[in-house]
Amino acid sequence: MRSISLFFRSVTKSLLLVSFLTAAVSSANAQDAAAGAAIFKQKCTACHAIGKVVVGPDLKGINDRRSEEWLLKWIKNAPALIASGDPDAKEAEKFSPAMMSAFPELTDDDIKGILAYVKAEETKPAAAAAGTEAGAAAEGGSGEISNFMIFGLIAVIIIAFIVIVVLNRVIRTLERVMLEKQGVVVEDEDAVSGDRLAGLKQLSKNKKFILFIVLLVVIALGSAGWMGMWETGVHTGYQPVQPIKFSHQLHAGLNKIDCQYCHTGAFTSKNASIPSLNVCMNCHNYVTASDKYDGKTSPEIQKIYHALDYNETTKQYGKNTKPVEWIRIHNLPDLAYFNHSQHVAVAGIECQKCHGPIQTMEEVYQYSPLTMKWCVNCHKETEVNHKDNPYYDRLIAAHDKLKKGEKVTAAVLGGLECSKCHY
Amino acid sequence: MLLKLSTTKENMLVMNKVLTICTAFLTVASVSVISSCSNNRSTGIEFARNMYDPIAYNPDQPNKNFKDGKTAQTPPAGTTPVGFEKIDEFPNTPEGYQAASTGLTNPLPVTVPTLEQGKTLYLNMCSHCHGNEGKGDGSIVKMGKFPAPPSYSAGNSSRGGSMKDLTDGKIYHTITYGVNLMGPHKYQLTPEQRWKIVMYVHELQKLQ
Repeated sequence: MRSISLFFRSVTKSLLLVSFLTAAVSSANAQDAAAGAAIFKQKCTACHAIGKVVVGPDLKGINDRRSEEWLLKWIKNAPALIASGDPDAKEAEKFSPAMMSAFPELTDDDIKGILAYVKAEETKPAAAAAGTEAGAAAEGGSGEISNFMIFGLIAVIIIAFIVIVVLNRVIRTLERVMLEKQGVVVEDEDAVSGDRLAGLKQLSKNKKFILFIVLLVVIALGSAGWMGMWETGVHTGYQPVQPIKFSHQLHAGLNKIDCQYCHTGAFTSKNASIPSLNVCMNCHNYVTASDKYDGKTSPEIQKIYHALDYNETTKQYGKNTKPVEWIRIHNLPDLAYFNHSQHVAVAGIECQKCHGPIQTMEEVYQYSPLTMKWCVNCHKETEVNHKDNPYYDRLIAAHDKLKKGEKVTAAVLGGLECSKCHY
Repeated sequence: MLLKLSTTKENMLVMNKVLTICTAFLTVASVSVISSCSNNRSTGIEFARNMYDPIAYNPDQPNKNFKDGKTAQTPPAGTTPVGFEKIDEFPNTPEGYQAASTGLTNPLPVTVPTLEQGKTLYLNMCSHCHGNEGKGDGSIVKMGKFPAPPSYSAGNSSRGGSMKDLTDGKIYHTITYGVNLMGPHKYQLTPEQRWKIVMYVHELQKLQ
């Protein structure tokens, strides 16, 4: 495409059509920027961005700050320019201890293309910032429902009670009116009304009321008993509010980052390990989600920076750090031993088998009950994969020995291991 | 009164079955509704909480015995914990990088199982940015969320030379400390895991 524009340029020169010439130059600039964009993404983005300090300085306005001639020299071979004692180069060197690399393979035209691309990018209107804010707001309380339900139930019970009492009175007066009409003289049952105890006695004789009370007691005892027997110490569905709204749905689901990247311990140790913040910073030194927050860093990512005492503009870490207090969700009693690496690395169980559809969880909750029955049921069903596992080879060998009737001594079973006696 | 009683009794006889069934059903239904209510922000009823709390400190627990309140303390300066590598041999400087290039070679022999493990580790830990074939086109990069790293087979290293000529030591040093936008991965990968990845990256460097 560039050759076409060059051809155009030569044609226009020969024809001396000035208007044609200007059009061609502008199209050539556009071509340069497009080629520059490709080179920029390939060679520069590891350290530079436009409108943001990354490893190297922000390139916004670089065309105004430095002359093109100097930039050509600098990009082609920055270390040589510094060595030559150029004052601007000396100043640029101070920006970061990571030195700007030399790019001898870039031609003048390539670099001009990159500069054209930077210029085109910085003049682009910042319209992209708006628009994607709806996603952040779409969150609501789901935890309040249960409270509402409890109060609602109590209110319903009270109202039902009042309605029953009132209806009873109405029925009684109506019956009395009917009986009076039929000419039956009714003894005044409410002779001693006014006395509260008498009222209660009256109520205690009312079969409907008694039935109602009995039913209420049955319901209360039944649900309390059920919850007490089945749910004590079972935390299924437990979903505490975490100090940082980390979304597994975004990181593991959408971005498809492997579980192991952050929870490295799951493969090598007892504990799956909550990643320390330096693991977050492997990506979030660059990713700030600012396109969703009007060009500002996302408040949740800022919590990481705050905990690390990290200065976003200078990219420096301070000393005033404080740990993020994540709330443990899966909590086995201390009397039970569980080892992640045994299950993940040796048995090869998927994380989802116990942790559920974690890649769809905006907020993590406990999926499995973690009860003894749950563990035991799985252990009863799971077949041992003894292929390529020397432990089981030895086990099978020992059993073969037994079958043949060979002598099995304590030493064969590891009785000579030092730690059997000395610990 | 007698009249009233007898009429209700007759009614009761007719309605008895239906009513009993209805009330029993309602009772069971309300029991199940009430007992299914639970606040997912709380753990619910806990019996003997002290059985959950360990007597010894877990690494991720707060600990009043230390000034900064953490159980997981960083080792004192100048010490190397058992099972960890010496960290200061090849420091995170351009000189350390060059020194690692000449001073370090992969201690693991190249075997198929080790390469397989290296591949799994590479896919889990590196491929999001570097791509499944190391061409700098990982899933995150393709989504435009992170800038592309150079390709192992065709790119140039920002520290000079082309990527396909990187030595054992240089790759190991880069995984350990990171470079440019790549962060250090020594906290996530044991030395042995890093060497397995180095072995697999050499395979990716050979791709065309």
